[in-house]
This record gives sequence, structure tokens and C-alpha cells, in this order.
Amino acid sequence: MYKLTGVTKTFRKGSQRVSALTNVDLDIDDGAWLAVQGRTGHGKTTLLYILGGLDRPSSGVVEFAGQDLDKLREAQLTRVRASSIGFIFQTFNLIPTLSALENVESALIPLGVRTTERQRRARQALADVGLSDRLRHLPTELSGGQQQRVGIARALVKEPKVLLADEPTGNLDEDTRDEIINLLEKLWRDHGLTLVLVTHETSIANRAQRVATMRNGRLTIRAQSKTVPRQTSPDLQPSPEPG
Amino acid sequence: MFFLLYLRREIQRRARQAAVIAIGLAVGIGLVVVVTATAAGVKNAQASVLHALYGIGTDVTVTKAPSNPPSSTHGLGGAFSPGKNSQVIDELVGGNLGLINGSSVARVARLAGVAAASGGLTNLTDTKLTIPSVSQLGPGGAPPTSAVSPATFSVDGVEIGHARLGPYASGSITSGHGFTASDSRAQVAVVDSYYAKVHKLKFGSTVTVAKKQFTIIGISRQAQGGGSADVYIPLAIAQKIGLGPFGASLGGQVNTVYVSAKSSADIPAVQKEIAALLPSVTVSTSSSLAGAVTGSLASTASLANDLGRWLAVAVLVAAFAMASLLTMAAVARRVKEFGTLKALGWRSKRIVAQVMGESLVMGIAGAVLGVGLGIGGAALVSALAPKLSATVGANPGSAAPLDVRLNSGGASHTPAAGFNHTVAVHLTAPVTIVAIILGVVLALAGGLIAGSFGSWRAARLRPAAALSRVE
Repeated sequence: MYKLTGVTKTFRKGSQRVSALTNVDLDIDDGAWLAVQGRTGHGKTTLLYILGGLDRPSSGVVEFAGQDLDKLREAQLTRVRASSIGFIFQTFNLIPTLSALENVESALIPLGVRTTERQRRARQALADVGLSDRLRHLPTELSGGQQQRVGIARALVKEPKVLLADEPTGNLDEDTRDEIINLLEKLWRDHGLTLVLVTHETSIANRAQRVATMRNGRLTIRAQSKTVPRQTSPDLQPSPEPG
Repeated sequence: MFFLLYLRREIQRRARQAAVIAIGLAVGIGLVVVVTATAAGVKNAQASVLHALYGIGTDVTVTKAPSNPPSSTHGLGGAFSPGKNSQVIDELVGGNLGLINGSSVARVARLAGVAAASGGLTNLTDTKLTIPSVSQLGPGGAPPTSAVSPATFSVDGVEIGHARLGPYASGSITSGHGFTASDSRAQVAVVDSYYAKVHKLKFGSTVTVAKKQFTIIGISRQAQGGGSADVYIPLAIAQKIGLGPFGASLGGQVNTVYVSAKSSADIPAVQKEIAALLPSVTVSTSSSLAGAVTGSLASTASLANDLGRWLAVAVLVAAFAMASLLTMAAVARRVKEFGTLKALGWRSKRIVAQVMGESLVMGIAGAVLGVGLGIGGAALVSALAPKLSATVGANPGSAAPLDVRLNSGGASHTPAAGFNHTVAVHLTAPVTIVAIILGVVLALAGGLIAGSFGSWRAARLRPAAALSRVE
């Protein structure tokens, strides 16, 4: 799905240039689950934004489904985001004035899906995350876990190829965190997604097929924590939260 | 439709800010409507004053200053010597305007853009006074008090063929009838209703002008009462019996030419043509005469046109600036929201349209509210405006008419106190469709300006930077 070769990203900070990513090489297979760990400020989110076409590398090549993202014009990149990439954010990033259903619908707007079909798919996505009874609720009327479920439904409703999750449990309590990770794992299995999950929690990272670590902008594949064969067990229950 | 749903929810969320923007725009728009309406009202008032003075159909007046302006004290043909018996003097004098050859009227009428032209002898003064006999003189030869103040009234010579132009035309006949073609050389008169009432004149009775008896064929009432003469007589008769400045003959002469243009667009061209044809005359139009108006109407005109206009512009600029700043602040607060939408695949154009749509709705609210405020304000101006007075010279560019006084040296002429006409007018502030359209366009422009500032900011957002924004 992804092939990154020599990707470097530098920012100007005052008079200095800061390197957020340094010469990153990375292959992510179609349908794989990669966890990215690292301390704050070491380039995890920058890597995620570059994978999602929200930012462009200073140098190097980012191939997504065989196309070089850096060679796409802004409008083409926007289309790729609209159709193929789902984002999940640490702070949920729901539109505060829209209900749960409308927030999920908002992901289908750029695809030009008609109202009836849009609402049907949004309802289904919310049902998939267990929120059929919260369709009309505004984000402020939902708990943190429920808000993140809406965020997940919004990311999945367009049936993307890739799900990019930036610290999706960072703002949740322990129980809710487990719920969300279990849900993500289930959806990853059920939908055949490629999942890139940024986290600083080792217990969560260890549930992925591969774990990458970012340190000072450099990426190393630390270990293959475990191999979970996809689609082998559709009824697989979420793994218990490791202590 | 998702666009409208999102727009409505966002405006509901920012209801207070939206109200502030809409009210700000509304105050500006309301002021523009009131000022425009008041300016239109002032213009109407000026037009009614000027029409009263110069006739409803008259677009251009042509007058001429006397070649030798009379001094403040001028003996008329030498002194009148008191004789054995008292002597009655009754003369019709046009001392305040220069004379224009009557043939000029036809030449003016032939100019391109001129619909009709009419000559007249206006502001003639009939003066009746009695020179006392020697035996009536007091000590030192002083005349008795009763002889000092002569009876005077104003007379206009009207060109019968073109009686629809000039001051005579602005009156309406309330009794009898107006001049007809057969009256052009008849000793007939139309008398102003106020003068007729004071002197108990009526249809069929007679009035004496320069010792000649005129039969009153009609009583005329002026709409505003400003520039009417007391007595109107046929021009040909006035030319025959009247005297020009310094006793000159009025034969074949006029002192005012009234011109109507084919259309209002032709007026400036007609004014230029006449000035070229008759270089020594003063050519006045309604707009140039408006400049000669003084009094509270003129003060109101300058208030509406200068202070009002600038106040409206200042408030509008402030409202636009406030709307723009508030919209930019709102966009700044929604940076993360827009970054999220961009991450979801929303194009910048769609986000810009959303921001513009919100601003436009506030502009529409401002327009509706502003036009309402404007109509209310204009109604208030109409209801509360005090009666205004307009003072205007009878014929700008001319010398003042003269009063005749008798003193020990004989008869003398002094400038008349009533040279200026003062007309009372009621100011109304009519809200025209143009004012409403102007208000709506300005409010929408205000919304669009505010929206474009906000949109510009939203469009420039880089999604990664927007999402990294800590709130």
C-alpha cells in the first residue's frame, strides 16, 4: 500500500531548520497493521500526515497505491484523501454544531453521495460502532468514548483503503481505551483495512502486526510483535487488554 | 441540503456574533437609506420652491443685469416740484432687471434641445403716489407723512402665446379664467388671490396699472405663494405702458426668458447654447438656482448632503470593518474544524463557500433590518422635521427691485425690502426603490467583504498546520 523511500521533512523554526523526519524508508503492505511509537515531538504525527497526503515531504518519495503523492496536484491529493484515506484524531475533531449522524455524513460530502444514500451509509457506520441510539446527539452530548466512535464511523463510512489513527485513545480513560482499540482491531479485520496507528502506549502498539519507533525523526522497525492472520477468524473477540 | 444545514447550525452557534454583525450593517444601511431619502426630500423641496418662483414647466431662465445698477438713492427724471394742486403719479417701472430684445426669445426657441421659450416682463412695480401741493407741505417744505409711503404692487407682463411657462404658469385659476389668445392686446388682468383678497378685488372688477384700467378676468392662486406677482397683464400691454430702468422704454423688450428643454438631459446643453447665443445674459437652471437658495432649507440640504453622507459612509466603513474582523476571528477559532474538513477531503472551494455563505446570510439579515430601520428613520424625519424656509432672490444676478420714496428732493428709489422671496416648505423623506436597492447592495457587499477576508484565511490554511493547532 505504502512505500516510503528516503523521506525527509524539515521545518523552519525561527532562523533554524528542524528535521521532523530524516531519511525514512518504510513499506506497509496492503491490509497490514502498523503501530508507530515514539515520544512526543519525535515525528510520529508528521509521518502520519505525510502518509495521509496532508503534508508533503521536503525530499524523498511517498508512494501510495502505486502513485507518487508528491507529484499529485492539491486537488488530486484532496480526492485521494476523500476516497481512500480515513483519519482518526486524538481529540476526535468532530464538528461541534453537527449531530453524530451529520458528522459521519460530512465525510461523504466530497464524494458527492446523494442525501438518502449518504444517510443510509452514515447510519450503518454508526451501527457498526454501536451508536445506533445516538444519531441525533451533538458531540457535547456524547462521552469521550462515544465521540471517538463517531470519529471512527466518520473515517470508515467512505470505505477507505487506509485508516490513519493519531493517538486515538490519548484522551480516553483506560476502560474506554480498551473498547476503542478492540473496536479498531475488529474493524481492521472485518474491513480488510491497512491500519497505521500512532501511539505512545506499548501495550497498544504490541497488538499491531508491526511496530515502528520514531526517535529524533528516524524510524526503526523495532520488532514484529505478533502476527495476526487477517480474516481467519471473523468472530475473533477483541484481545484482552494487556496489563 | 448539507450546505444549508451546516450554515444554519454555525449561525445558530454564533448567534450573538451574527446579531452584532447584522445590527452593525443594519445601522450603516439604515443611515444610508435615511440620508438618501432626506436628500431626495430636500431636492423635492428645492424643486417645489424653484417651481413656485419660476414656473413648473420652466427648465432654464434667462435674465440680464441692468447695465448701470441703480444707486441706493436715485432721482427719477429729476424732482417732482410741488405745485398749486396735488399731483397723482402712477407709473409701472421695471428697475431691477436688464432688458433683453424680444427677438431673442424666438432665437432661443429655435435652438436644438429647446421645446419652448417665452418672454416676460417680470417684477415690474406699479407705484402710485401723490405729490402734495405747496400748501400741504410742512415746515421747511417737508411732505406730510401721508404722502411719504406710496402704494405699490408687483406686475408681471405675460406672453399670452406661451402662458404655460413662467411664474404665471404655476398658479391655478380659482375664479374667472386665464389669458386667451384674444387677450394679447387687451387691458385685462389676472390677479393673485392673496392680493385680490386684501384689496377686495374679484372677477369682473378693475385694477389700475399706470393710470390704465384693467378688467380682472381671473383670480390665480400660487401653489407655494413664493414668486407670484400681484397682477399679471399681457406682455404687449406691459411693454407699452411700462418703463425700464432709468425711464427707458420697454417697447419690444423683455427682462426674463423662460425656456423649457425637450428633456432634462438637454438642460446643460441648452444652458450652454443660450450662453453662446446671448453672451451678456445670465442663464440659470434649477440646479444652479438651488445654489442661490438660503435659509433653513439650504442648511438642511448641506446637512443631508455633507454631514449625513459622511456620517453614513463612516458608519458603513466601521460596520464593514467590524464584520470583517469578527468573521476573521470566527475563522481563526475554527482553524482546526476546517483542517479536519480538509483531512476528510473537503476542497478549499467548498470551505470558502461555507464561510462566504454564512457572511452573506448575515449581510441579508443586515439588509432587511437596515432597510426597515431606514424606512422607519425616514418616516421619523418626515414626521418630526420642522417647517423649513427657503429664501431666494427673485432673479439671481439681477439688482434688487426698488421702492419709491418721496423726500424733500422729490421722488427717490431705494432697494425694496422684499427683494428676497421666502417660502415655507415641509420636508418629507421619501424612501425610493433606488435607496432600498442601494441599501441591500451595500449590506450584501458588506457581508461579501467580511466573508472574503474570512474565506481568504480559510483557503490559505494548510491542513497539517490547521490540525496541529492547539485549542
